[in-house]
Amino acid sequence: MNCLPRPIALCIAALCAVLLGGCGSQPPKPALARAAVLPDFSGAWEVDYSQSENVREAYDTLIRALQRQAERQSRNMSQGGGTLAVTGAGANSGASIYALARMAEIVTEPQLLDITQTENRLNVKREGSFALDCEFFDGKWRTRESALGTETCGWDGHQVLFYLGLPDGLSIYHRFTLGPEGERIKVATTLRSSQVSWPFTLDRVYRRYDPAASGIRCKQTLSKGRVCTTEQLP
Amino acid sequence: MALLFVLALTARAEGVAALDVGIVVFEPGIPEDISTHRERGIFPRIRQAESRYLPVNLRRTLQDSGDWGAVRVMPDTGRLAELLIQGRILQSSGRELLLDISAIDATGRVWVQRQYRALTQPADYPVPRGGDAYSELYLEVAADLLAVRRQLDDNALREIRRVALLRYAAELAPDAFSAYFQEDEAGRFRLLRLPADGDPMIARVLRIRNQEYVFIDSVDEQYERLHDEMAQTYALWLQYDSEQSLYRQEYAERAASRDKPGPRGSFAAMQQSYNTYRNYRIQEQDLHELAAGFNNETAPTVVSTSGRVFHLNGTLDSQYAQWQDILRNIFALETGLPVADDERNPFATHTQ
Repeated sequence: MNCLPRPIALCIAALCAVLLGGCGSQPPKPALARAAVLPDFSGAWEVDYSQSENVREAYDTLIRALQRQAERQSRNMSQGGGTLAVTGAGANSGASIYALARMAEIVTEPQLLDITQTENRLNVKREGSFALDCEFFDGKWRTRESALGTETCGWDGHQVLFYLGLPDGLSIYHRFTLGPEGERIKVATTLRSSQVSWPFTLDRVYRRYDPAASGIRCKQTLSKGRVCTTEQLP
Repeated sequence: MALLFVLALTARAEGVAALDVGIVVFEPGIPEDISTHRERGIFPRIRQAESRYLPVNLRRTLQDSGDWGAVRVMPDTGRLAELLIQGRILQSSGRELLLDISAIDATGRVWVQRQYRALTQPADYPVPRGGDAYSELYLEVAADLLAVRRQLDDNALREIRRVALLRYAAELAPDAFSAYFQEDEAGRFRLLRLPADGDPMIARVLRIRNQEYVFIDSVDEQYERLHDEMAQTYALWLQYDSEQSLYRQEYAERAASRDKPGPRGSFAAMQQSYNTYRNYRIQEQDLHELAAGFNNETAPTVVSTSGRVFHLNGTLDSQYAQWQDILRNIFALETGLPVADDERNPFATHTQ
């Protein structure tokens, strides 16, 4: 479905917030640029753990960010302390932050990506999860809405952004950036929860690989769709 | 008498009322503007598959009724059918099927031109093997066609068959056969006279037409095979689509009052909403993948005629076009008449 006035405003405001590092006071900037020559993400990709963040690192980063935020707020309110309380329930509680980290682990689980790209479409099949699929016509952002969630995607310069808004206050953003040699993709996944005031971001790096060389063979079937196996041919 | 000659050549055991029916592969109803597909809930690959699948359902309904002669699914309007049925898919989902159907006979008489709509209920699923969730829609089409046919007397039905044969003949050799009938401004065809008894040209026409029947029967078999291969998956698709549609409808109603697995922002609550969405999208994408596997039209078809074997490649409609050209050339070689212009759409009606 095309971006509708209210949802698109929300989507772009949310995307803008991520792009601008949580600049809640700034107005949305809907006119995200589309690079003249778009990078080609096509190919098969596998996660490169040596260059990827792990959840623990991202968790620590978030805790530090929240501590700094708490300190700033404390200074602004001319109150002492400034120590982040990470216990109990409610906003920025330890349970809420931990929940966000666990969700980040689930969302970034896919180890293999299979990307196809045309002039008007980019499809990211993710092993064990649903594909991120983006159609872009005339540079417009696209939104797919349902009662279960809202997806928005589009180009931002040389990057592709995917946004997923879920009913229970969880928002997920994936920002795809192709490396300079075209052999690496960085996927910055950001999760936002209504219960945590700072986004949780986890960077995964994927490297190009040859699916045939990896021993994974896939075929299309009528009854099961695309079936992949690591079994060797007899 | 010429009349007896033609009747003898075209007589069938079923009697004069058993017209041959051609069902053209339906128009999938996919808007050219691909940016609107999602908004309108159209899955192009599934629509493409449905455009070949649904005509077979109608074919089987008509065939099973025993009220008709040969009923064939054809890649295009061709020039064979005594009664030609065309359809356009306006809406197709697990909950609703809306088709625009037209039926026109060889004389140009419009039998049916209307939309048919059928809805399903949750109890309609799962679809039993060999069944169809929208069988009542096809029965309704069949009933309408039969009602029209019953209004026609034997003479009118005979005229349809004769006009069909002579129009086919005129397609092959316009100079020889165009004078046997006349088309009025309304597009209705009327017989002016009949060929002479023993006309060798008619014998050649019948032989060529029989060869075209052989080809179109092999095409029809491919549609049948395609139908049977995708039937189980398509039934599942309709069921899932119906369930998802109902789920989405009920979700909003439940959302406000449902028991949440945990407070807002909790891991349990977020995991539930994420997994629900993920499963919904995976299911949707699996169906897309399956739909992509349905297109087996490119399998080469081998047909033999007059001791020669022709290898036809490409999609069924392009194979059919190749085959019609071959038959035209054979006819021209045998008769010494010039090859007719390619007008392969004599019965076409335009549906929006």
